[in-house]
Amino acid sequence: MFAEESSDWNLDLGGSVTCEVCGEEPATIHLLRVVDGTVSHTHLCPGCAEEMAEQTDGLALVLAVPSVLRNLAKPAVSQENLPTLSHEEDRFCAVCGTTLTDFRESGLVGCANCYQVFSEDLERLSAQGAEPTEHLGKMPRRGPETDTLRHEIMRLERMLHELVACERFEEAAGVRDRLAELGQRLEVGQE
Amino acid sequence: MRSPVITASAMGLTRNESGRRFPHAEDPAALEEVRAEVVEALAGPGWEREWGVHDLDSLSTVQIDYFVEKGLMTPGFAEGSNVGRGFAVYGENEASLEINGGDHLRLLGFRSGGQLAMLWALLNHLDDRLETVFSYAFDPRWGYLTAQPRQAGSGMRAYATLHLPALGLTGRLAGTALELAHQGLGLVPLWGGAGGIVQVSNMHSDGRPEPDTLQQIGDVCRGIVEKERSVRKMLVRENPIQSRDQIGRALGVAQQAWVMSFPEAVNLISAATVGIELGLVDAPGLEAESAFGLMSRLQPAHIVVDYMSGKTDCVESPEVDERRALVLRGVFAGASVRV
Repeated sequence: MFAEESSDWNLDLGGSVTCEVCGEEPATIHLLRVVDGTVSHTHLCPGCAEEMAEQTDGLALVLAVPSVLRNLAKPAVSQENLPTLSHEEDRFCAVCGTTLTDFRESGLVGCANCYQVFSEDLERLSAQGAEPTEHLGKMPRRGPETDTLRHEIMRLERMLHELVACERFEEAAGVRDRLAELGQRLEVGQE
Repeated sequence: MRSPVITASAMGLTRNESGRRFPHAEDPAALEEVRAEVVEALAGPGWEREWGVHDLDSLSTVQIDYFVEKGLMTPGFAEGSNVGRGFAVYGENEASLEINGGDHLRLLGFRSGGQLAMLWALLNHLDDRLETVFSYAFDPRWGYLTAQPRQAGSGMRAYATLHLPALGLTGRLAGTALELAHQGLGLVPLWGGAGGIVQVSNMHSDGRPEPDTLQQIGDVCRGIVEKERSVRKMLVRENPIQSRDQIGRALGVAQQAWVMSFPEAVNLISAATVGIELGLVDAPGLEAESAFGLMSRLQPAHIVVDYMSGKTDCVESPEVDERRALVLRGVFAGASVRV
């Protein structure tokens, strides 16, 4: 069976973003405590969370949500980084009508096209370390060949970067040639 | 007796059909189309086992709770009510499929013991078969696309259930959960914290290869359970009389109670299991099956369906608590603390 995830755990903190203990640092940890069957939620900065973890007695659990996940769902964590959007700035997806404000409030996107429309927000948030820069897991078997090519190109680009960093230039040249070849095939495929 | 590191394994695999909006943003008519397409595909050839498709509108609360308790349905899906939802079970409860919940498709699997790799193999296989019918929303950068971007990537979320009463009792779980959070893993109570039963899962489904994620969860769980075992030994070593007293009291209540809530039953079984594993307790009835198996069959909807022939529509009633106590008395008959 699957543990129930209350909506409060679901990264939607309703704007409660400063640490509830010190009131100064941004809350990046969601602490869930279960004592005698009663559940309480606290939003804490890492320092206060560590302190509270040490002080916790009895049957107590925590669900600690790293800040970057919450940011991904609800980036309104830092008002400095995310000022209120003007009408012009509030981009929207032409396919499903989801606006950037919708995404920030609900943590949900409406369709595949949203990933292109809001890619900057997703990229900026993923740059904080939660996501790898490419997908390395399973891929659809019958996806378009161009998808497979783009995936392979991204993999080789990363390999090239690492080989250059290690000064293994001979192998890097081989990878570079392979990249050029795949690049040409991708261009032909897209024409 | 030494219980397995992972008490139970569960997995969810999320997919969406390309060219359609995700369920919360899609038209009801289009969602009905998705459901019809899926149901047709499930009835088609090429499956090793048959799919049993259930009409959610005709399922009773008890039946839905039963699916949730068996790990075939997520609590979130059970509470949903949007148009176009569908639900199907594969073979003899080997896997299940939620249609038009948060996403178009979510394959689910649940097994006792450490079976994450086996679950991934099965769900991966079913996913391959579904993909011959559906074109999935996929992006080389983001992986499989989902309504919640944090779930995009592999679309896989794996859950390992652990039994950690000693870490809970000594206040060590909080620190453990914080350590896990730094590794992108979450630690949450399964049954409101009863019995120290928790689930460790990958909080986001990133683009790493799926076996890497499973390996990480397995490694982390082994470390946590080793810590649990050493804390149990320490507790008995430092508090020999109190430990036996607490476990003995648990046995006494289990043997003599006539009304038993589910959380209390889980706590008692948890204490008795620790006693058995430390060699402090003889409990022939409990040694015959896994503690988690016993806890599972004492869940409210299980009691109603398995022991009361579904004769009540209410999973929280005095009759259910009485029946649970009766089952527990039978299991714990003859159990005692070793002198």
